[in-house]
Amino acid sequence: MRIPTESAAVGTDTPWNELPALMLPAYGQTWAMVGIVMVLVIIFGGIMGLALFNTDRQGLFPHDKSHAALSWFVNMGRSLPFLVLMAAIIPFTKWVTGTTIGIWAAVVPMTIAGIPFFARLVQNALNDLPKENLAVGLVTGGSPLQIIGATQIREALPALASAVTLNTISMVEYSAIAGTIGAGGIGYLAVTYGYQRFDMNVMLATILALILTVQAVQFLGDRIARALARP
Amino acid sequence: MIEIRQLHKHYETAQGRVEVLKGIDLDVQSGTITAVVGPSGAGKSTLSHCISLLEKPSSGQILVEGKDLSVLSGKELCAERRAIGTIFQNSALLRRMTVAENVALPLRNLGVVHHEMENRVAELLNRVGLADWANSYPGELSGGQRQRVGIARALALRPRLLLSDEATSGLDPESTTQVLELLDSLRTDLGLAIILITHEMDVVRHIADRVAQLDGGRIAEYGELRGLVADPGSVTGSKLLPLRPDLVPAGYDFTLTVAYQAANVDPAWISRLGTEHGARVALLGGSVEAHHEGTLGRVEIGLAGIAAERAIAVLAGWGLRATPRSQQLLASVADRAERIEVAV
Repeated sequence: MRIPTESAAVGTDTPWNELPALMLPAYGQTWAMVGIVMVLVIIFGGIMGLALFNTDRQGLFPHDKSHAALSWFVNMGRSLPFLVLMAAIIPFTKWVTGTTIGIWAAVVPMTIAGIPFFARLVQNALNDLPKENLAVGLVTGGSPLQIIGATQIREALPALASAVTLNTISMVEYSAIAGTIGAGGIGYLAVTYGYQRFDMNVMLATILALILTVQAVQFLGDRIARALARP
Repeated sequence: MIEIRQLHKHYETAQGRVEVLKGIDLDVQSGTITAVVGPSGAGKSTLSHCISLLEKPSSGQILVEGKDLSVLSGKELCAERRAIGTIFQNSALLRRMTVAENVALPLRNLGVVHHEMENRVAELLNRVGLADWANSYPGELSGGQRQRVGIARALALRPRLLLSDEATSGLDPESTTQVLELLDSLRTDLGLAIILITHEMDVVRHIADRVAQLDGGRIAEYGELRGLVADPGSVTGSKLLPLRPDLVPAGYDFTLTVAYQAANVDPAWISRLGTEHGARVALLGGSVEAHHEGTLGRVEIGLAGIAAERAIAVLAGWGLRATPRSQQLLASVADRAERIEVAV
């Protein structure tokens, strides 16, 4: 019987020409995760950010207690490192998706981590708007929805685009961490091939893919924010 | 006509209740400009927020043609807000909207149909002289132009009252003049009631018909601009046209403060005192301003070769109200005032 030597076990680097077949589906999975999560995060995090801003003193419905409760909730969501959060909510994830592995199992903790982060980014973007915007909305006879639409969301669009960019990059990073619990995607490849099998080629390829992805997202986000800005 | 009746506003703070407005009464007639002036902390901003219905007064009424707007809330408040157009300090235009979109904002909020909105916006931009700038963004305009867009936006819903909250603060003199000329024309052409909340006495002097001096949450003085300027005891009048401290120059007998009471005072009155009455006149200070209702002025003169009582009577005949500046003279003139008037 042939006993595998250490070098054989360590040195089984995937040949470069086989990498695309391995990487492309994983890359697709990463974007599927990030895409689904970002849709949910923009909707729910956006609503939460608007609620945070509008329950504050300068907002449309100032209410100290609601604002404090919301703020506390958002801080709680942001205080756990993603790895801890992911492990802690496994029962909840299983209850929602029926599984603890795969893309959908990763979407749950990523969304839960992403919503409070995005809510704060939205609140900060709105805080940077001129304080008179609310008064303008009111004296021009706007309803609450018209005021939120015209004087808050529309005016803050460049900053909101930057917030989406920042959040997307965070989610790419979280998707890689989610790979450790078998979520699939680039992170999963990095863990199983690069970490567990010392496959240097896959490791390098995943690092390169992540760097290029983050650069591309940031570049695109900056371009969009700039296009939305007005003189 | 806008009537503000016994307007009170207080805030509850950790230190207890703070009363900011303590019973404000103000009438603003259509076609007039009323300036509300006062030091910082007098309650100008709170009054402005109450009038523009951004804050609910603690008690009191804001009556626009008899209807109390201070008690409204919800949809009714949204609808009635159209009676009051507000111009903000620094114009407060929305930066991501074009000039036309900013002006159209109140119309769109009210659901005005598209082509009607376009016509109205074009008409308003014409009115403020910015028809060529419809598709520009506020960032491409000068401060004065931005403020004129703000005025167009405030006019969009055909309000009956225009509230200008420090609208010319921070503008250069030329832009200030443009904005004031525009407000002046709105008063005349549209018959708008305009409330001008400001700390700039230059602005008040130029354009106001009536002035309310706010101090410590109360109206300390309120009256016609001309009356306040002509009243030697008026604090507001002396702020509007300030004079140097009372000093009788060497070689002169006494000093008089002379206020322009009539609208058409002979501008050569100083030389006439010399030629017709043999007086020697020293011009010590003062200011004379053109106003849409005639010249406003407050001048301090030193006199010799004429009795104070006679000088006062002569000036009164020319539409000028003269008051001795030294207390002693004031008392002696008061004693004999009636007799002199009869004599002249």
